Amino acid sequence: MTLRRIRNILRKEWGLLFTDPNSALLVTLLPFAVVGQFILYFWLAFRFGSEGMLGSSIFQTALEKLLQTIPEAAALPASEQLLVLLLNQFQFILLLIPVMIGIGIAAFSIVDEKLTGSLEALLATPVRTWELLLGKTLTGAIPAVLMTWISAGFFLLVISLLGWGNLSGLVLTPSWFLSLFLLTPAVAILSFMLGVIGSSRAKDSKGAQNIALIVVFPILALIGIQVTGIIWFTTLRTLVLALVIIAVDIIALRAAVHLFRRESIAIQWR
Amino acid sequence: MAIIETSGLSRRFKDVIAVDDLTMAVESGEVLGFLGPNGAGKTTTIRMLAGIIRPTGGEAVVAGHRIDRDVEKLHEVIGMLTETPGLYGRLSARRNLEYFAGFYPIDDVSTRVEKYLKLMGLWERRDDRAGTFSKGMKQRLALARALMHEPKVLFLDEPTSGLDPEAASEVRQLIRRMQEEGCTVFLSTHNLAEAEMLCNRIAVIQTRLLALDTAESLRRRFFRRKVIVELQSPDPNILAVVKGLPFVQEARKEGSRLSVELMDSERNRPELVRAIVEAGGKVVTVSEEQYTLEQVYLRLMNEEKISDAQAHS
Repeated sequence: MTLRRIRNILRKEWGLLFTDPNSALLVTLLPFAVVGQFILYFWLAFRFGSEGMLGSSIFQTALEKLLQTIPEAAALPASEQLLVLLLNQFQFILLLIPVMIGIGIAAFSIVDEKLTGSLEALLATPVRTWELLLGKTLTGAIPAVLMTWISAGFFLLVISLLGWGNLSGLVLTPSWFLSLFLLTPAVAILSFMLGVIGSSRAKDSKGAQNIALIVVFPILALIGIQVTGIIWFTTLRTLVLALVIIAVDIIALRAAVHLFRRESIAIQWR
Repeated sequence: MAIIETSGLSRRFKDVIAVDDLTMAVESGEVLGFLGPNGAGKTTTIRMLAGIIRPTGGEAVVAGHRIDRDVEKLHEVIGMLTETPGLYGRLSARRNLEYFAGFYPIDDVSTRVEKYLKLMGLWERRDDRAGTFSKGMKQRLALARALMHEPKVLFLDEPTSGLDPEAASEVRQLIRRMQEEGCTVFLSTHNLAEAEMLCNRIAVIQTRLLALDTAESLRRRFFRRKVIVELQSPDPNILAVVKGLPFVQEARKEGSRLSVELMDSERNRPELVRAIVEAGGKVVTVSEEQYTLEQVYLRLMNEEKISDAQAHS
């Protein structure tokens, strides 16, 4: 029954999601915008700023960490080593996609139902709170993960069109694949779960978005930590990070169920 | 057999008592009208009985399920129509129903959805978005949603509020049909005529239960039955004759009409008419004064205000 109910929620939510032009555009276009924008930055940095960056001690430290992890990069000229360093950040940049889609979609998921009055009718059905919240989370997380994977393909296509195809072997490391296939779904679920928590606690979608925004900062921090050479995410570190986030997902679901107050929703929202 | 039983059911929101010590029983198959002014605790009571909010005192059993313990099972056997239809405007009527049906143990959802869309007269518009429907159609669709899993108890919170007379009449006909099919209906409404038309019994609430009885019994409780005798021409002597009759409790003259309170309206009425005729009165019509449920309700509310004022002084 639980699976049937979650499938039921997914079917309905997707029906609503893809009949709303704003949400459909957010899911389909935003990932390409994120990838395109960062590739543009890296291209500009590579083309016009590599000398300055190479002179910086921060990037020197990061390059040392890169070469320890990917020794094959040592054979490349310094400017291309810098490019490999930048392109390797994509494993975390791609994480921004599910987070941003989460903020845009999950934040509205409960608030909208509160405002239209459908939530009270829903709360009078036998659906359990965790089934509802998990269904709502997966509604956004599944397309967000799929779009992240498509974006990864788009990224590889663009770098080969830019003539950097020879570097792709140095970017597609085991850590990259772990990040894509384990960390991305875990982060997607977390960001959507926080969006749903925000949505069930907030009085409007703005408040919900603010709560969901919490996830953006750790991801920006991950990029910052790696690009400045503080910590380089090896395969093991990426695996540990993914497992930690999966554990946080489980805690977040429990917290979401606890924080979802059927009573206050029924009383405060009419 | 009672299908809803409450005992001392109460709900407090911080310092405000919304429902106080509600003890009542609703029989299976009954339509109970739940009346009261705004803020009287009608919606809070419905939400408690529907397991959406928990009581802060007392207990209640609905269709064999404790409202505070067995919520999932309770939700399988109740249907609820909230004040707003709460439909998904971008989904079709059919998808709206299919979605809600998906939460209940229904074997053939499509057949069930078809049955209720047809019952509500919405089958022809099944693939249209619910957002394009009129208020009446939305209300019928919401009613279909509440009924689709064939609940034992149906909670209706002001189902005809904001509807035009035609749409309201359609909803009332549907409620009647539900009753004929054996469904117990708990109907919260401000429309007293509607309550009188549909309900077997009426409960009046003002935080606490003020009255619970049939409309007729409530009328008898608050108003004595008066016989109205319409005379061809007013005659002051006849009033004196009527007042002198042993079974007359009170008599008044209002133009050419006599308003008479009898000890036993049924038995004393022929004797009253004979006495008037013997005194030379020419009787045109004899009828009984009709009191509306509204008059009963207003009397109840008035008494409650007086008793409140006395309690506070």
